[in-house]
Parts: sequence; C-alpha cells; structure tokens
Amino acid sequence: MKKEMKISMGILILGAVILTIYWFSPSPDEVHESTIVDEQIILPQYESSMYQNVPEVQEYIADIKQMIKEGNSVLPLQNNELDANAKKVQNLLLKNEAFLKDTKEAGKLLHNDMMRIVPTILSSLDASTQKICNTHSCYQAEKYNFVTNATTRAIVDVDEMKVVSLQHYPQMQADISLRLTHIAQAIALHAPEVQKELGTIPFKKDMSMANVRGSLKDSPCENKEHLCVAPTFADHQKEQALWAVVDLTELKLAAAKWAGLGKTTTPACISERSLQNRYIMKNFCQKDTVLKKDGWEIIYRLTGSDGLEIHHVRFKGKEVLTSAKIVDWHVSYKQKGAESLDTTTETYIEGRRVDFVRGEDGDYLFGYNDAMGCPMFSTSVVLAFNGPQVKELPDHDGFMLTQDYRNPKWPMACNYRYENRFEFYHDGSFRVVGVNKGRGCGDNAIYRPVMRIDMAVDKKENFYVKTEASWEQWTQEQMQKVEKNEETYPYKITSSSDKEKGYYIEPNHGQFNDASRGDNATLFVTKFNASEGEQDMLTLGSCCDLNDDGVERYLKRPENIDASNIVLWYVPRIRNDTRKGHEYCWADSTIGEDGNIKVNIWPCTVGPKFVPILKAK
Amino acid sequence: MRRYFPVGFSLLFIFVVATIVYIQKNKKINTDTPTELLSKIEKRHSCARTGKFFVTKGITQPITIDLSQKYYKGIVLYYGREGKEVYHPKSWERFEHFSTYAVDKKGNLFLVPMPYISIRSTTFNLLSNLYKIDTDTGELSIFMHFDDIKASPNNPYGLNAIAYDCEDDTLWVSAIDESTYDVQKGVIYHVDPKQKKILQRFEGYDVLSLAVAKTDKGKFLFFGSARDSGLYGIKIENANLVGKPQKLFAIENPEEHIRKIKIRANNKLEIQTIPFTYTLIAESGKKDRIFYEVEYHSAKWHIHKL
Repeated sequence: MKKEMKISMGILILGAVILTIYWFSPSPDEVHESTIVDEQIILPQYESSMYQNVPEVQEYIADIKQMIKEGNSVLPLQNNELDANAKKVQNLLLKNEAFLKDTKEAGKLLHNDMMRIVPTILSSLDASTQKICNTHSCYQAEKYNFVTNATTRAIVDVDEMKVVSLQHYPQMQADISLRLTHIAQAIALHAPEVQKELGTIPFKKDMSMANVRGSLKDSPCENKEHLCVAPTFADHQKEQALWAVVDLTELKLAAAKWAGLGKTTTPACISERSLQNRYIMKNFCQKDTVLKKDGWEIIYRLTGSDGLEIHHVRFKGKEVLTSAKIVDWHVSYKQKGAESLDTTTETYIEGRRVDFVRGEDGDYLFGYNDAMGCPMFSTSVVLAFNGPQVKELPDHDGFMLTQDYRNPKWPMACNYRYENRFEFYHDGSFRVVGVNKGRGCGDNAIYRPVMRIDMAVDKKENFYVKTEASWEQWTQEQMQKVEKNEETYPYKITSSSDKEKGYYIEPNHGQFNDASRGDNATLFVTKFNASEGEQDMLTLGSCCDLNDDGVERYLKRPENIDASNIVLWYVPRIRNDTRKGHEYCWADSTIGEDGNIKVNIWPCTVGPKFVPILKAK
Repeated sequence: MRRYFPVGFSLLFIFVVATIVYIQKNKKINTDTPTELLSKIEKRHSCARTGKFFVTKGITQPITIDLSQKYYKGIVLYYGREGKEVYHPKSWERFEHFSTYAVDKKGNLFLVPMPYISIRSTTFNLLSNLYKIDTDTGELSIFMHFDDIKASPNNPYGLNAIAYDCEDDTLWVSAIDESTYDVQKGVIYHVDPKQKKILQRFEGYDVLSLAVAKTDKGKFLFFGSARDSGLYGIKIENANLVGKPQKLFAIENPEEHIRKIKIRANNKLEIQTIPFTYTLIAESGKKDRIFYEVEYHSAKWHIHKL
C-alpha cells in the first residue's frame, strides 16, 4: 500500500474513533448530573462554647463587652477597613440619633456591628439622593443589629457631612465586615468537625469565603434570625466542596455539608434548619441505629410522632427492654371564666389547635397535645433538633442517649422544648427521662408526658406493688397514683418463673440530683396489645382533662396480667413555676452583658429509674 | 498533487461527518430543553361559572372563596360589596379542611382536602376523598373516594392538588400519600367527573399544584413540585399525559415550593410558593407565602418576586 493511502486510512480510523467517543460522551447537562455527589451533612458534635477560645472570637467578644460597658451599642469598623472619608462618616453616624434609633430596647443596649462604609454607587440610589450625590461625594454605611436581625443603611454626603438618606430593613442582613469574615474563617478552621471531614488541619489558603449573596439580601445559610456565612473548602479532584456554615450571631459552627461543585448542588440559600432536617431524616427517622457502650446494646430511632424510641435493649447480652418512648406531652392551662367560654368555633394558638375542658368552680382548662417527631414526613409540631446524642452522666456512672425536640420559635411564648433522654448505668440500671424546658404560654401550666415502657424481663412477666409487709401481685390491668413514701422501690416487675429476675421501679421524688421536684405520676399496667402503642401513636387522650391521662381507655375492660407480656405506662404530672428565683419548666430570653440575646432555661426533669433486683440486693 | 488526493479526501470526509455528528448531538440536547417545548403559553378565558345556588341563597358578587382556615373551618364564601357577608353552612365543616379547589363550567366546585394542625381519628380517611359543592343545591359531599390513597402519621397528606380542563370537562388531581423521604411516589390522576372514573394514573412525581396550559406546542399540564422549587410541564395528548415532565424553571430558594399557578397573560404566570416538608406546620400561613411573576421572553424565563 502506498504511503498516502496508509495516512488516509489512519486519518479515517482516528477520526472515526474520536467521533464515536464524542457521540457517546455525556452532554454538558448530563455531565452535570453525573458529578452530583451524594449529599452529606455534618452537624456539630461539640459544645459551641469552645469557639470562645479562638483568639479572633475572644478579642471580638471582649470588644463588644467593653463597648456595651462604655454605653455604646455599635461596634465600629476597624481602621484597616476605612479610608479617610469613611472614618469621618463612621464618626458622624455613631453620634447620629436616627441611625442609632434601633440600638436600644427597654433601656438595654443591643449588639450592633458597623458592616461597611464605602463610596456609593449612583445607580443604586433613589432619584433625590442621586441628585445630591451627582455633585457631592457620598458614602454608604450599613450596620447590622444582631438582636433584631435588621440592617440600617445610611447615605452620607461627605462634602456637607450630612446624612441624606436613612433606611431601616427589618429581617435583612448586610454584607459582613472584614473582621467578621476573619472570625468566620477562624471558626471554620478551628471546627473539629471540619478538620475531621477534611482529614487534616486546614489552612486559610485552603478556604474560599462565601460571603452573603449581595447587599441587604438574605444570607446564604440563613437561620432567618441569625447572620450566617459559609466558608468553603474545595476539593477539585473529587469535584466536591465542604461548606462550613458559620453562625455569626452565636459565633459557632452551625452545620457543614459536602456538596458537588456543580451549580445545582451549591447549597446557597439552604438554611441551617433545612440541613438539620435532611441530616436527621437521612440518618435517624424511621431508621435504626445500634449503640454499643459499657455492656449495653441499644437500638434507637426517631419516630414520626412518638419521639426517640429505644428498642431491643440488652445489658451484657441479656434482654432488658422491648421498647421505651414518650408518646405525648399533654399541656394544659387553668383559667377562670368557664361560664363565658365559647367553644363553637375552633381556636388555634401558634399554629396548634387548642382544646378546652370545663372544670369545677367556674374554671376551665385549655391546652394541647404535643407530639414529638421527625422534622419531615410527620404529624408532629415539636420537632427533632440535631440528631440523638450520647453523653456521659454527670457522676460518670453511665451514659445517656438524648434527643432535643423544639418548636422552631422556642423560647418565644407558646413554644415548647422537650428532651427525650434514656440513662444507662454501669450496674445495669436505666432511667426513662422526660425533660421540659418551657416556655409555654403562661405561669399556670401542667405538663404530663406519657411514657410507654415495654419491658423484656421475660415472655411471661408479673407486676408487684409493695404493701406494708410484702409484695402484692397485680393480676389485672390497673392504675395507681404513685405516692411518695419511705419505700425506695414501691414496684417491681419480674419473670413469672423467677422472682429474682426483674427490675425494681424507683419513682423520682427529687432524689436524682437534677433539681427535679418529683414525678407526681400515675402508673398504669397493661397487657401487651400491638394496637396499644407498638407503632407510632396519634394523640392519646385529652390535653386538659386532668382525670384522663389517655391510658385509661386501655383499662375499660381490665384484662388478666398474671404471667403476661406487661407494658408499663408512667405519666408524671409537673406544674411549672415562673416566680423569680423559683423558675421551673420555664425559659426566657434577656439581653446579656454583650448586648446579645441570652436564653435562660430552668428545666424540669421527670421519669422513673429501673434497678435490677439482683443488683439491689 | 494527485498522490495527496486520498489524504485530502479523508480529511474532508472526516470534517463533513464531524459536522453532521455535532449538529445531531446538539439537536438531541435541544429537544430536551424545556423552553423549546413551551415557547408560548396562551392566556385563555376561564370557563368556570358561578354556582347556581348563589342566586337561590342570595349570595351576590363579588364573591371570595376562602380556604385559609383563619376564621372558619373548611370552606367559607365572603360576598357582597364590601366582602363582609359570610356564607358558611355548618354542614360544610364535617369534612374538615381543604387545600384548594377548581370550578367547572356548570358552577360545581370541586375541593381537595388538607390535614391541618390536628389529626383526629377520622382525618386520614377524609384525605382520600375528592369533594364537590353542587352547583344547584350548594350541598358539600364526597364526590369520589380513592381507595389507593392512604395518608398516615409518616406522611399526613393524601389528595392535595386539583385543576379543571375546560376543553374536555375533566379534572386533574394529585396525591402524595405514598411518598417517603427517600422515594417520590406521588400520583397524578386524570378524572372524568361525568362517569366518576379515573382515566389515567401517572406515577412518580410529588405534585403540590396543578394547572392546565395551552401552548403553541399543544396542551400541557403544569405542576409545582413538592420536592424542589421547580415548575414542571408535561404534554397532554389525546387526554393522556405523555413523555416525561420537563422542568421549566425553578425558584432560586430550593426551600420554596410552588403551591399555586395562575396564567395571567400570554407567557406570563403568577405563582405562589410555600415551605413544604410533608408536616403540618405553617404550610398555609400567609406570611410564609411568596408571590412571583414569571414571564417568558427572549428565550428565557424571568422571575420577579412580587
């Protein structure tokens, strides 16, 4: 074959190969799809107070405190962010009453930061201001109020040293200052979660700063009320980036997220709440997690409306619990004026339907049934925040598995926060705990968490109550008000074939060193029935009829419980207290010494402890 | 020179084939581009008529249909010059709450249900029904029950969106009860109200709002997604949905979901968005609603917050 023919053949073959590859290669859109990485969300695992040791944060907090101490409320920009004119503008505005109008509330100074002072862009001004700034030198200054989440923008005529325009933008956030940018970067660099994800201690050069999207717009990771930004660590090889969502209002890492570098996976506009929801749904809702620790083996999950459920719990290989959960919190308030009560139309407070029950002496009770559950795909109104957490007990004699539930607007009035907690001790004891953190609607609330505890002592179990001299067996389903007496263990549940195999029940009368005022509980003992709470339960009973905890419906035709699969229902009754110095089941927010909102919590903790009979002896 | 002819020819051949391949490949991409499918959306006059019972009950124009649940449970009509007169028979409350409605050419008002704040033992069952207020009597009743729709504590939504097609007098409704966090299993139903019969069942998309639209490329069903912030379109041919839905545009904030679609003028839509997480909280609160005007021109969708 001639040389030219060989070259021609080569061109044709090579061309055919290249075109074939091109034809079957994905189109730009398809490439985009294929580079979408599986979203991975990381929630903070450490106390946010650790960031107060970061030098940039420390210095910032000290400056704020000093500023408030001196009677000022706007932290000025540092000189490295200001030119000569901007300095003059800052001095003018820090004495301008109109500019500082929203910096005080009920006599308390609120934390504000000056965010930027720059020459104005004429096109962004209204006609009248444009007229002035056409011939004069004008500067635009923005300050942000961390307490009210509002931005104030002033346009200053520098030639005349006069404020020519002043706008107040509620619920809006300005571009952040250079100082806050550095603080956000420092928090991201120091976050152990970020270091763990990156597998190394990152440097500033590894990071790009996702600033707010534009002037006076919602920030990219808005928690609606908080100022957030998202420094990013890009991994170009893997075509993904770690977004560290930093909350500058609380000076902490709010969340982190791995996302693809493609534009549709950029987590702009994704709020901390939304990241949390997705993290919780993906990892814990209706999905089992196994926890093995200190001889305990626990399976747990977040339910749609029954809070955190633990099931098939074992200690040193032996079965302890089939299931334990808090199915409801009944919340009721007592009020006078039942005679004029109109219940012909439904009443809703803060997005929830209010029930009314007439009482005695002209009283009536109103309130809600609060179900705790997953933040998506559920009927609950008090939603899981963060995932379940494992923590050491204060006395280092065991650990707890705990889950925080909140109304999104807590601690505002008529919003609630509950903690579901299970404590596991080294000696095989465990405790089912409900914690109420307020705030509720007022000072006369009665809370009743409904705990369902299905023990796994044996297939056939017996239940006993301590009488003066001996143990008396309950052979029929029944209930009893749990009285405070000298007995540490007034109840026990045992195997029907071995009385030594089982657990004593120790009601809480305030002896657990958690500032509790006791359970004042009612105990119900029922025979296991799959339709009575094995699955997620809808609201059980009345929020407000104090003679009806909800479980009574299962006792209408009492069944025999001798040598049966027994289920315990334990319903504590807590009254809140809002008196100063005596607060209980309560929360409020005040302005702290740094001019920021400080949330005060007075929790109330209830729930019985289960102690192995053999251990107690 | 002749000896180089084979080389020149093969280069030319490859160039021509490469050009054809390039055009074909890009043509393939372009046919998938949704805006090419819908370059003109027509504003059509609504065929909806007011109910005949309005006359017999003395309900005078202007009339506002309110499903906000703010002052009345279920549906309430405000009427009269100042819109302060109220028509709300107590019997309209027995099916609890409604999410949206469609009116047909006779004045029948069809309603789809909604779980609202509190779940009762009867609520989930009520979410499987399509309801009708009869044009003649003003009676509210269950129009159709959908056996395959089963709301539950893990997804409290059943039927949730509706649109009426004036051309063939049919209804499009949707349900999202089977969907989970991981899997989108929503269903769009095409319903013949005369025979109370399901004509088509189109699966796999969680829909939050529906609208029938005429375009220069034929009839389309538009829907707002419960999963993302997108507005989708799917072609209707011979009274059936054909092909796959195409995303027309998306609101920038992925946490907003399109709850209402109105065709205001040629190529101009008004949409309303809400946050939606398959829970009961604050889904219909007015403060959570964001209104947009969306216009298609210069081969682009232009979205303006109102």
